Amino acid sequence: MNSSTANPLIELRAVVKVYNSLAGSVTALNEINLKIAQGEFLVVTGRSGSGKTTLVNVITGLDRATSGEIWIDGAPLHRFGSEKAAKLRGKTMGVVFQSFELLPTLTVLQNVMLPMDFARRFSAWEQRKRALNLLEQVDIAEHAKKLPAALSGGQQQRLAIARAMANDPAILVADEPTGSLDSATATAVIDIFEGLVQQGRTVFMVTHDKDIAKRGSRTITLSDGEIVQAKENIHA
Amino acid sequence: MLKARWYKVINDLFGNKTRTLLIVLSMSVGLFALGIILSARTILSEGLAESFAAINPSSGTMRTAELFDENFLESVRSMEDVQDADARRQISARVQTTLGEWKNITIFVVADYDDIRVNKVSSQSGAWPPPEREILIERAALSVIDAQIGDVLLVRFPNDVERRVRIAGSAYDPAQLPAQLDGTPYGYITFDTLEWFGEPYGFNELHVLATNPKDKFWAQQVVNRVKDKTEKSGYTIPLSMTAEPGQLPMNDVLQGILLLMGLLGVLSLFLSIFLVINTVSALLTQQKRQIGVMKAVGGSTLQILGMYLVMVLAYGALALLIAIPLGVVGARELSSALAVFFNFDIYSTEIQSQTFIIQVAIGLILPVLASLIPFISSLRMSAAEAMSVYNTSKGRFGKNWIDQLISGANLWFMRNLSIRSILLSVRNTFRNKGRLTLTLITLTLGSATFISVFNVRASLSSTVEDMIKWFNCDVMLTLDRTYRADKVQHEAMNVPGVTQTDVWIQMPTRLVRSDDSESGMIYMFAPTIHAESLIVSPTIAEGRWLEPDDDNAAVVPSAFLQDEPELHLGGEMVLKIDGKERTFKIVGTYVGMAFLPLVYTNYEYITQVTNRVGEADALMVKMDRHDPAYVDVTTRALEDHFERMGVRVSMVSTINNERTEAEASFDAIVALLLVMAILLALVGGLGLMGTMSINVLERTREIGVLRAIGASNRSVALVFIREGIVIGLMSWLMGALVAIPMSQGLNQALGQAVMGVPLTYSYSMPGLWLWLVVVICLSVLASFIPARTASRLTVREVLAYE
Ligand SMILES: Nc1ncnc2c1ncn2[C@@H]1O[C@H](COP(=O)(O)OP(=O)(O)O)[C@@H](O)[C@H]1O
Ligand SMILES: [Mg+2]
Repeated sequence: MNSSTANPLIELRAVVKVYNSLAGSVTALNEINLKIAQGEFLVVTGRSGSGKTTLVNVITGLDRATSGEIWIDGAPLHRFGSEKAAKLRGKTMGVVFQSFELLPTLTVLQNVMLPMDFARRFSAWEQRKRALNLLEQVDIAEHAKKLPAALSGGQQQRLAIARAMANDPAILVADEPTGSLDSATATAVIDIFEGLVQQGRTVFMVTHDKDIAKRGSRTITLSDGEIVQAKENIHA
Repeated sequence: MLKARWYKVINDLFGNKTRTLLIVLSMSVGLFALGIILSARTILSEGLAESFAAINPSSGTMRTAELFDENFLESVRSMEDVQDADARRQISARVQTTLGEWKNITIFVVADYDDIRVNKVSSQSGAWPPPEREILIERAALSVIDAQIGDVLLVRFPNDVERRVRIAGSAYDPAQLPAQLDGTPYGYITFDTLEWFGEPYGFNELHVLATNPKDKFWAQQVVNRVKDKTEKSGYTIPLSMTAEPGQLPMNDVLQGILLLMGLLGVLSLFLSIFLVINTVSALLTQQKRQIGVMKAVGGSTLQILGMYLVMVLAYGALALLIAIPLGVVGARELSSALAVFFNFDIYSTEIQSQTFIIQVAIGLILPVLASLIPFISSLRMSAAEAMSVYNTSKGRFGKNWIDQLISGANLWFMRNLSIRSILLSVRNTFRNKGRLTLTLITLTLGSATFISVFNVRASLSSTVEDMIKWFNCDVMLTLDRTYRADKVQHEAMNVPGVTQTDVWIQMPTRLVRSDDSESGMIYMFAPTIHAESLIVSPTIAEGRWLEPDDDNAAVVPSAFLQDEPELHLGGEMVLKIDGKERTFKIVGTYVGMAFLPLVYTNYEYITQVTNRVGEADALMVKMDRHDPAYVDVTTRALEDHFERMGVRVSMVSTINNERTEAEASFDAIVALLLVMAILLALVGGLGLMGTMSINVLERTREIGVLRAIGASNRSVALVFIREGIVIGLMSWLMGALVAIPMSQGLNQALGQAVMGVPLTYSYSMPGLWLWLVVVICLSVLASFIPARTASRLTVREVLAYE
């Protein structure tokens, strides 16, 4: 697959993000241009503080870019307010965080159902069926009635992935999904991502683990808010 | 099946029981206060109106010096515009209480107890009508003479006949001022019993009901006509009273109390709104990350707002579940306590549905409105910001002057003390200024109210003291008629212990207005004015007190000028004395009770114009010691001496008694206010507890660090307890200041209601110190639970948090 395919699913044009705080202003993203085609498994690496999380935030609309354009499946996300962005996210993007970010007072099953509820996509019964199905896919269906705190780290992250997949999004965005996991568990999580890519979904994953980075179809490296390296990975 | 988000709402509500309890309690305190006040107001107002209607109240009451009979009563009844009339005999006697002390007692004699037409008296318990040679005591008066039904009292009539009478039962007579308020009990006997006391048959009190009693002016005119007829029939009227149409004697005072309680109710409602804002913003701070996550998984602002509003509504509903039933019980208890105090019956304790509707509306709408403020600011935050580990500018310490001031550099003088950790607490206190401000407002208002209630208590005392100071004597004796002043004074001086005496003359008058209409009875006091007068000037509101060479000068109560718009300071007024109109000049107004207007004039002048030169009917006596026991013994000796000399004393009032009675009557008001103040303090304490719990939550990581560097449970807990105390002390200080205007406001309101002028302002130092102790205890208590939670957090839990 090639990044120059005619209609990219995600396209960033000259995206800049500047943080202003009491300590001064920081340019976290500096004129980022990036095209991601459907079905790609894009991995973003870079040292801590290089701007990876910021990139996830602006691509998912969790934060607004300072300038530049972000197109998601033909929609101008950079023009969207937070409300429209949330709606778009609900429909086309699933997000996975390093620290899982599960809702502690909802059961495993309810955590997966919540995005469907917000998107008003399915009837309550369908939501339940889909959620159980997703939990089976990530192998934690037997824990459906537990609270997230009762799960191990790997299970929690798998739950987070199931939640991200709840509305059957075309794009999955993950910020260091294996950062809090040991390497065996991490590998299992990445296996799930690969499976999703094989189903035709697009995965955008941040990591600073060299070995994990190799498993993507393309790797870009960030440094001081700029893309300093891009390479295609040929898998056997 | 419920949608997933509602499970989150339910689990959040019931998962964190401490938080739910805290929020629900804060809300319910305000709603409870509101419910009590709304319901008590209606119960009492209706009870008062119904009690009043039930006795067929008179438009006016007058007393005659001579006795009259049924024929005269019939002639009054047949007068045009007189709807009905009734007559009684009224006797000012003395009674020995079970404790051996002599007190004044007013005894009424009614011809037919089962046919009282106006100002009805009814049976409360025991015998009815009064059996021969036995007495009924008004129900509110039993406690005044420490007696119970069945006790035997020794009663002495003005004719010196003493008889032992058994209390056969109690009666209910709401038309009289409640006995404990003026300290004079009321008793009821038959004419047979009166005869046994050696008194002749006949009436001296006439109760008149006009045809249109609601029309105050009309009723007054009818009463005046009856009065003229009475005088024309050859009776003299030394005293008459006109009741306010449609009201019991204590109506004004009760209304004043209800008003004050209303004010405090509104205040506590405000405080609970602050608490709601505070606790809800705490909830949102706590859930900041979760809100970010919900946005990240596609939740819209409206959906998330909806979830939290439902949560707040649920808090409100739970609070109502507590507040409504407690409010009903509280209102009933309060109403019956007040009804007993003011001596009227409550007919129905049914609570109007309106009260519930208002409570429900406020309980559901206000929290939602109040929580919109923190919601809007928290929902405006972007999802990334909400989940970010980076601290945004808010809540950073070190920038402004308060922070600089307490940063340590300026506290060099504390350096040698082991004060570092205290400093940490002080600094922590100032971290979240919005929350601190709200907590402080809540606690400060609570403090201020508490201190103010004590100030009102102190002010009531100083007002009483001020009024009593007018009388530079120990006892006042009212005589049954006028006697030669020099003789009476001479005889009094013969009693050992008496050091000085003074006389005055008193008589009833009426104000004649420019349209020739006449006012109700006004009591005129004419004291002797000279350098050694035993009556000193009352507290003058405006103008001046009488002077020795005044002739037709008069000093009137300030409330009187408000009631009579024609009159003004420096102007003239026409008073009818002994049937003749005389002009007086108003030279001053004084601060005094509103329900009985007293006009002060000069003794010399009045005795001259009434042909009573050298005569007096009241005597003030000063003694060489002023302690109650001594004054009582000496007074007794004085009474005995007068008896032997043929001078009849109809009423004795010692200053000590007057003071205790006046203060006792205020204590009930103060007790009520205190209940409200305690409620407010409770709201403040809850607020502080909420704030401290949030602080603990917010600083979970910090606690982890403290533990990691080896801080003990105790020292972690102490950080928070000290912080609570710092907040408590600040609120105490600010409350002490806010209490100044607040107590002035309360003094104004209460004073206007009770005596038509504000109370004499006084700041209660004991109240201030008491509240300091209370606030420190409250602070420790409020921060103890959160602090204990903090000290129990293990390092693992701290790291697992978030
Ligand atoms: N909310 C923020 N406020 C201020 N500076 C920020 C904020 N978020 C990130 N930064 C800064 O932006 C830069 C990029 O941060 P981030 O995107 O988190 O990097 P990474 O995820 O690669 O570690 C860093 O220098 C960081 O200090
Ligand atoms: Mg990062």
